Amino acid sequence: MIDDVYVIGVGMHEFQKMSPPVRDMAYVAGKAALSDAGIKFKDVGALYNGYIGGGMLEGISYAKDFGLTNVPITHVENASATGSCCFRQAVKSVQSGDTEIAMALGFDDMIKMGMGMMKAMMGETPKIEQIVLPAAFFAMWATRRMHEYGTTEETFAKIAAKNWNHARLNPYAQRRADHEVTVEEVLASKPVAYPHTSKMACAAGGGAACAILGNKKMAEKYANGRPLVKVTGSQSKSEHYTPGHVFLGAVVGPGDLTKVTTKALYEKTGVGPKDLSFVHVHDAFPIEELMYYELMGICEEGEGDRLVAEGATSIGGRIPFSTDGGLTARGHPGGPTGLAQVWDATQQLRGEAGDRQVEGANIGMIQMMGAGSICIMHMLQREG
Amino acid sequence: MKQKPIEEGYFKIKEDGTPVLIGSYSAAADVHYFPIRKQCPITEEPVETVELPVEGILYSWTYVYMPMMGSAKMGTAGHGVGQIDLPNGVRVQANIEGEKGDWTIGMKMKLQALPIKTVGDTELCTFGYAPA
Repeated sequence: MIDDVYVIGVGMHEFQKMSPPVRDMAYVAGKAALSDAGIKFKDVGALYNGYIGGGMLEGISYAKDFGLTNVPITHVENASATGSCCFRQAVKSVQSGDTEIAMALGFDDMIKMGMGMMKAMMGETPKIEQIVLPAAFFAMWATRRMHEYGTTEETFAKIAAKNWNHARLNPYAQRRADHEVTVEEVLASKPVAYPHTSKMACAAGGGAACAILGNKKMAEKYANGRPLVKVTGSQSKSEHYTPGHVFLGAVVGPGDLTKVTTKALYEKTGVGPKDLSFVHVHDAFPIEELMYYELMGICEEGEGDRLVAEGATSIGGRIPFSTDGGLTARGHPGGPTGLAQVWDATQQLRGEAGDRQVEGANIGMIQMMGAGSICIMHMLQREG
Repeated sequence: MKQKPIEEGYFKIKEDGTPVLIGSYSAAADVHYFPIRKQCPITEEPVETVELPVEGILYSWTYVYMPMMGSAKMGTAGHGVGQIDLPNGVRVQANIEGEKGDWTIGMKMKLQALPIKTVGDTELCTFGYAPA
């Protein structure tokens, strides 16, 4: 049995540098999504919890805060793509006819996770796999890009400033500057890994996000006069071999993994890059977003810099990227990140995104990477 | 002082003190890999363990503004990281010696043993590269 699948509810807890206990944030995001859908927890037929940190069975424990309903609970973990993977599992659960309503709930605190890892490593002899930091991996993408195409540090700063300014319009974003963030300000921030600076790096923090999926019957029942948001495609790919493949490091994987996944998504949905109203990506550093413009076919190879210069990927531009601030400024707690993308995409497609609304938003594409080795993408479309 | 790898299976330090990376070769795919693979990821055929060339070309680099990774001290204000293309097609991601400004894409690099910790009379080393 194959059912059409819809997002019927979304909810978030603000992403924050100093966040409350993860359990509390998970409860707030979950209740917000249930309320948005207009349902009770007892109506949920499957729960997928996404978290990277935390202890054994944390998700099962937190679920008891919503109720004791015999609901099947599954813990999902796939590095940064955890929330997206959670969402995909919930989509599959509804699509298969196994349940009429499924809930995808992501929660984490990247700062506490990072402190725990550093504490564990202090005094220990480091493992060879841990010596090259993720920040170095992305920075080397950037240096190579500068060498091959003449991309400048200003281009990276423009992408980051754009995302900081998008986040100013998102009440749940971690980095909400009280002023228009400038390219100069991004360039002048603390260097992290050349050519990237701290204002170009994704915001680590805590948070939670939730999406509730339903079949068409449920979507219509709980629409409450709002347009429906249909999940028209879901794709997940792991690495394939490419010449110069890197196997060793915290983050590895070929850049064109996104190209392969996007191609599969376009083919499955019949949607092309010109049909998209907006896109969400894993912009841990601006080099990623720049590369994805090209790998997703938004522009030709080597043309991404021009897209940035023209402001095409800002809200109000031809194809806005990271309309909620992206990982750069909305934040990246880990488990909930991909679900925060779904939260914004759903609001955009319903026309409920307020000041960050993309005019006439009809189709949104969402992408997340997990340790560079997993790419998960979804296509969401407004119906009605 | 004696030198030994911090972890077995990635590289060895020969009697004369020179390091060499250990990788895999798939005859079925005619492709070399680093680190060792359990089998060829392309053909699923067996691989043989081989020593890899010690010199390569710098494909990309960065300078990380953090001198520490856990308990391992690297550089003073930060440390270099590079991707080095070996002549047999393997790309290695590792620390590189020097300071920002010392590296140019395309330059020749040579494998080094980089001490990161001393235990008794033994230096525990990771591997890295320096301009050749």
